[in-house]
Amino acid sequence: MKLFDRIRPAILNGLRELQANKIRSLLSMSGIILGVASLVAMVTVVQGMVGNFRQFVDAMGGIEKITVTREQLPKEQEHLAELSEGITMRDVERIRKTVSLVDNISPEARVGSERLIVEGRETSTYVTGVTADYLPVAKRWVDPGFGRFISDLDVLNMNDVIVLGSAVVPELFGANVDPVGKVIKIRGRRFTVIGILNNIEGSGMQIRSANSRSSGGSWRWRNSGALIPVSTAQAKFIGNDRLSGLGLRIGDAELLRDAVEQTERTILAGHKGLRDFAITTNEQVLEDFRKTEAAFKLSLGGVAGISLFVGGIGIMNVMLASINERIREIGVRKAVGARGSDLFLQFLSEAAVISVIGGLIGLVVSMGIVALMNYILMQALPTGAVATLDWLIMVQGLAFSVVVGLVAGVYPALRAASLDPIEALRHE
Amino acid sequence: MSALIAIRGLRKAYVMGDETVHALAGVDLDFQQGEFVAILGPSGSGKSTLMHILGFMDTPTEGSIVFDGQEVAKIEPDLRAWYRSNRVGFVFQSFNLLPRLTVLENVALPMLYRENSDPVANEAAATIALERVGMSHRLDHRPNQLSGGERQRVAIARAIVGSPSIIFADEPTGNLDVKNIDRILDLLGSLIKEGITVVLVTHDLAVAEKAHRVISMRAGLVQEDRTR
Repeated sequence: MKLFDRIRPAILNGLRELQANKIRSLLSMSGIILGVASLVAMVTVVQGMVGNFRQFVDAMGGIEKITVTREQLPKEQEHLAELSEGITMRDVERIRKTVSLVDNISPEARVGSERLIVEGRETSTYVTGVTADYLPVAKRWVDPGFGRFISDLDVLNMNDVIVLGSAVVPELFGANVDPVGKVIKIRGRRFTVIGILNNIEGSGMQIRSANSRSSGGSWRWRNSGALIPVSTAQAKFIGNDRLSGLGLRIGDAELLRDAVEQTERTILAGHKGLRDFAITTNEQVLEDFRKTEAAFKLSLGGVAGISLFVGGIGIMNVMLASINERIREIGVRKAVGARGSDLFLQFLSEAAVISVIGGLIGLVVSMGIVALMNYILMQALPTGAVATLDWLIMVQGLAFSVVVGLVAGVYPALRAASLDPIEALRHE
Repeated sequence: MSALIAIRGLRKAYVMGDETVHALAGVDLDFQQGEFVAILGPSGSGKSTLMHILGFMDTPTEGSIVFDGQEVAKIEPDLRAWYRSNRVGFVFQSFNLLPRLTVLENVALPMLYRENSDPVANEAAATIALERVGMSHRLDHRPNQLSGGERQRVAIARAIVGSPSIIFADEPTGNLDVKNIDRILDLLGSLIKEGITVVLVTHDLAVAEKAHRVISMRAGLVQEDRTR
């Protein structure tokens, strides 16, 4: 409280000095203005780009996904082809029992591109046999009011039920028709529609709606296709118990390598040592992602650091000039009873006032920069990064500018505080 | 009655290059409460050094100063600042008002650096001090809107705002015309009625003659100390 009583007149004084030297103050602030503006704008835009990249990786199944696919036997094992059983539900059971790092296993049996027929209308789409675990592994869901997904019971009973991608529905049923409960024919077999997968583009969760140019573009394949119980697919279309692959979701992406190794050993043991499968991950994507993020952070830090350093020099410069002009004032203040600490506080407060006002102007400028960057990115990229200003980043930007102002103000303030009053009063 | 200030054997030496300058070479003086004293001497006589030391802006190399019963010759800078804001007032030749502050703010300035400083009380004290010097009609003016005589009256108001024990006026009339010289000297002389000791520091004999006691200095020593 007492300290504030000493600072308050110092702040008022600082504002008065600013007002008296408008142009000089604005020039001295320019470094801080640019520093804060570039810091906030860059962090915001990079966050937007990183966020968009994350969505892309998510669309690829996320970095926590491991994919197991069927593969030709290597040359040295070709003579054992007779023994190969391929990937089956038995692998699913083995992995579930032995690899605790894996949270969900989604067996997938590709039926292929099939014609879906409803009372005169028809469309072709990919049909795949899956289980209930498809949703967590693919990071998909069925929105409330759009039916339900394939259940364990459907798989157990080999039910003829089907879940449609949202893009398939209008092609089969036209607009404004609820397809849940309707019957679709595939190869003459009748399937009851039980649900519709979430629409990715329209959900607003994964891809921001501002990305209007991406609609019908790169995300479209995620909304097409149809899913049936894996057992139904195997028994009624494929004719054997083989799967086309497995999707595995692990809880902790950091343990990806361990999970891959354990999964490989488990399958290999179950397959009597036959390498009739391949394991792939999005690790390379993850690695690229991390490199990109690190590069952005490094360049961001460099730009912000340099501009704030320059801003600090600007403030220190103008404070030293201001003190040189006001040596007599310092002498007078000391003569009437000011202590060294009073003058230290006064000039430090002045530096803080300059940096706070500069920081605030910088925030306003950053809003303009972000708006411009958004405009350019949306023109340039179909899935352009859309960045939104975060108040937390703005607060941090302002805090940075205040810290810079205070650090830059210490030396000039110390000089003012240590001036000899007699010398100062003699100064012309 | 003991003196407000009693100095004994006061010396001040400066080292300038290879040479040591003895600005004060052993000064003994007493100042009583409510005295109107002039310290007279040419430049280099040590009168300014004496004023700075007695005004707590400087410290002596040697000697004793008893101010109001306290030995103050070798006190810490912050305590000296306390004496400057609570016990001493300064009036300068070139007024030394702060150009950005109003008349009222300039006069209230010494109060800002006191403990428990309160803006409202400071303004009230400044208003009273400005009334005392006849400047209460110019509270919101800036110093550059005032004449020299008016500026010096404002400076005197600033010196008396904190009810000091002693005021040092360093060539207070050096920048004024004849008419204002008498007015300012009369104003300063009238302050002793309030128990304030007024010390005029000047090289001008005519100005010094206004005081009741004239101390003449030369080469760092008191040459003559006469009371009229």
